[in-house]
Amino acid sequence: MTLTRTHRPWGSLFDELRRDLDGLFDHYGAGRPVASSRGVFPPVNLEETSEGFVLTAELPGVAPADIQVSLEGATVMIQGERKPHPATPEEHAVHRRERRTGSFRRAFELPATIDAEKVEAFHRNGVLELRLPKAPEFQPRQINVQAS
Amino acid sequence: MTDREATQELTASEKQPVAGEGTRPGPVYRPDVDILESRDGYLIHVDLPGVDEKALDVRLEDGVLRLDVPAPAPDGAVTTPLHTEYRPGGYHREFRISEGIDAAAVTAELRNGVLELRLPKSEARKPRSIEVRAA
Repeated sequence: MTLTRTHRPWGSLFDELRRDLDGLFDHYGAGRPVASSRGVFPPVNLEETSEGFVLTAELPGVAPADIQVSLEGATVMIQGERKPHPATPEEHAVHRRERRTGSFRRAFELPATIDAEKVEAFHRNGVLELRLPKAPEFQPRQINVQAS
Repeated sequence: MTDREATQELTASEKQPVAGEGTRPGPVYRPDVDILESRDGYLIHVDLPGVDEKALDVRLEDGVLRLDVPAPAPDGAVTTPLHTEYRPGGYHREFRISEGIDAAAVTAELRNGVLELRLPKSEARKPRSIEVRAA
């Protein structure tokens, strides 16, 4: 798994980004259960903690080496490719093919700037987890009240 | 005895999980599968994202291969959901297995959230080429 920061213009990505953002704001605080994301791969959950954000994506059958995570400002993007299973025999008949393969790309703009140096990415049981700490200026701060 | 026969018997059942079957509350999904057949046997790949091998129950009984994963317990983390596209859940699926499978040799391996089941054909069911001799 590579974690890189890209500096390319988003261009055609913008529509996709906007769509994801619309979904994001749709569900801000509104207790609606699951966003209508049928057919979108991978399905992504985004949660906020006091320190930052946790993004998880269900990516069964995608090797860590085939996942790229990039970050620019408050925008995080995951992309990669789900390949046919490596154990596929050369000569075979297909009885069922429900698992789809191909490339994927999803981008999310977070409501706070991310501390890029401290981003962590984990891959476990086919689920990608990104821990995205907020930049220092977005971190919660304790203010001491002084007696005057 | 042809492969075609065996093929028709290995079908994924479409039935939904029985309500209240799980020991924990939570959704139970029917996972996506690929079923391939080669000369030596069947190869089944099952998408099980987020499933730990300890939670996975695979059993072969009365000619039915059953796959069960209970819905996970809530992790109790204090977070605010901003965007939710999936809910972790359990999984359930059954496959009817033909008699041509060597049940004792079935193997299961979980890797990157995908279960691989290998079901070797019993020797008698493997295709053989018959030498034709001139009389």
